[in-house]
Amino acid sequence: MNLGFLVGFFGVLILSHAAYSTIQYRGLLKIMEEEFSRPPINVILELIIGLALCMWAALTFPGKFLSIHPDSDENRAVSLPDNSDFMIFNHRGRLFPPEIEMKF
Amino acid sequence: MGSSEKRSKDIMSDIPTFSAENLQNNLKVIQNSRTFLSIIAGVLAGIIGFNGLTGFVFYFVVMLITSVGLMAKAGFSADLYFDSWNRVLFDGFLGGLMSFVLFWTFAYDLVHIF
Repeated sequence: MNLGFLVGFFGVLILSHAAYSTIQYRGLLKIMEEEFSRPPINVILELIIGLALCMWAALTFPGKFLSIHPDSDENRAVSLPDNSDFMIFNHRGRLFPPEIEMKF
Repeated sequence: MGSSEKRSKDIMSDIPTFSAENLQNNLKVIQNSRTFLSIIAGVLAGIIGFNGLTGFVFYFVVMLITSVGLMAKAGFSADLYFDSWNRVLFDGFLGGLMSFVLFWTFAYDLVHIF
């Protein structure tokens, strides 16, 4: 999780540096009295790098996907519920034969 | 013996259950990813100086790339992590649009007008 955060941080840093370069470029254009059509090539390159870093960080930082199958190895069925103190097992149901196989 | 076999079969052919808590976690992960990326896309669109429709096209392009990235993260098998493909692909599309426009105008003002 830390690596994703660092990568995202660097991506945002690169983006802000590109923004600052564009502001300076616009100032330069104003002096030379030309029109602004698109940022210079190096700024566009910086933006692409920043976008790639941020995309990688956005896919890894928020967390992993957890499997939703009930019988995969990581979703064990035996976990104590919160109200286990109120559960009793000495009722008439104990006479039923067990039907579902549970992994312990 | 016959009746207990029938009962097992009834239970096994039930509605397929899944761990809802894990599904919610996965949906939250998608939501966070999409929100962060729409903000970044907005800042980018503002810096480049998109005007009008081009910016919205840029937003949809970034969202498509995000969908591909999320599918790759899920290993191209959505059955393991979600209950339907639509969730992975189309969940937070329009929710991020507002954040995108907000940061787009913000960055555009910062870079081009101020």
